[in-house]
Amino acid sequence: MPIFGGYAGGIEETTIVDIATHLNAIVMSSASWHLDGPVHIRWGSTNTRETLTIAGWACATISEFTDILSGNQYYPCAGPCTEMCLLEASAQSMTDTASGREILSGVAAAKGVVTDKTTGMEARMMGEVARATAGMEISEVNKIVSKLVPLYEKNYASAPAGKTFQECYDVKTITPTEEYVQVYNSARKQLEDLGLVF
Amino acid sequence: MTFRKSFDCYEFYDRAKVGEKCTQDDWDLMKIPMKTMELKQKYGLDFKGEFVPTDKDMMGKLFQAGFEMLLECGIYCTDTHRIVKYTEDEIWDAINNVQKEFTLGTGRDAVRVSKRSVGDKKKPIIQGGPTGSPISEEVFMPVHMSYALEKEVDTIVDGVMTSVRGKSPIPGSPYEVLAAKTETRLIKQAAAMAGRPGMGI
Repeated sequence: MPIFGGYAGGIEETTIVDIATHLNAIVMSSASWHLDGPVHIRWGSTNTRETLTIAGWACATISEFTDILSGNQYYPCAGPCTEMCLLEASAQSMTDTASGREILSGVAAAKGVVTDKTTGMEARMMGEVARATAGMEISEVNKIVSKLVPLYEKNYASAPAGKTFQECYDVKTITPTEEYVQVYNSARKQLEDLGLVF
Repeated sequence: MTFRKSFDCYEFYDRAKVGEKCTQDDWDLMKIPMKTMELKQKYGLDFKGEFVPTDKDMMGKLFQAGFEMLLECGIYCTDTHRIVKYTEDEIWDAINNVQKEFTLGTGRDAVRVSKRSVGDKKKPIIQGGPTGSPISEEVFMPVHMSYALEKEVDTIVDGVMTSVRGKSPIPGSPYEVLAAKTETRLIKQAAAMAGRPGMGI
């Protein structure tokens, strides 16, 4: 996972390292695929403006010039059952899908560090957004992501903690709560208002 | 100059024992930042705020920069404190012979992972799961079942059990092994309970 703001430096510098690590996976390990995941040194998130740019450029370049298969990991700042978490995952799903990523792997909500704070609903959003984005014009994807990221990027320091799986689902029937379904629908509506067609 | 044989992990191991010596600080604080800065300037890289690139010339320069980064810096082995270098031909040999597709899962639940391109109409594979997040032993199965029940999800990426039989899976202890085996069993069970026993994990 290349770190934006780490030893490599800024966006372009970190992307150079990201390309090199894709190539190294194939040379060193004869890997079947490379699991990427550019992460922000300050926020521990893969969904920031900078890390999305690194992921988008690295994957598109690898797709364009090689046959290497590439995946990306999802680490939003916000926890489950929050619009911010779903919007963060959506921005990355759009960027990954449009840039030619083969595998979307996630979503580790709440930065993947809090016990029981991930659920199937975040993965549903990642999948639905990927389905909606596949085949879209790149200029249109960039336009929507450019409007989407500002909806959450000022809130990293105060990202909503969200709820645990036990609070988000009926654990016996594995069914999301009505509250989470409403949050999901609200996030989906915001994406539709930005121009994403599900 | 051609190479004697295709590069593999055994060759990496051998080179990691004899490569150029380097301290981790020198690698992290000098070699990597100096080289990335040099390559950014050499190739005039500027992404101009685009999330997904539309400038193919710039992508070409980025590829050259990344290739050169690997070729000139190599890979640092933190165990031996030595640098493993590849030749240009070895890197191209690997790039030219990558696996272009493979299958995850079995039977009717199997999915084929294959090459996508920029702006591809084909939906990517959705690997749903906690992605290494800590998950309580008590809800480990239901959490993973919540992913397997989602039709948008093709394969599972698992979480990490915080305990097994009530004990912490301390690295190097038997409980670590038990936790790893229990995780796999419970995820397979979760997929089967969701009616998708062959899902890739």
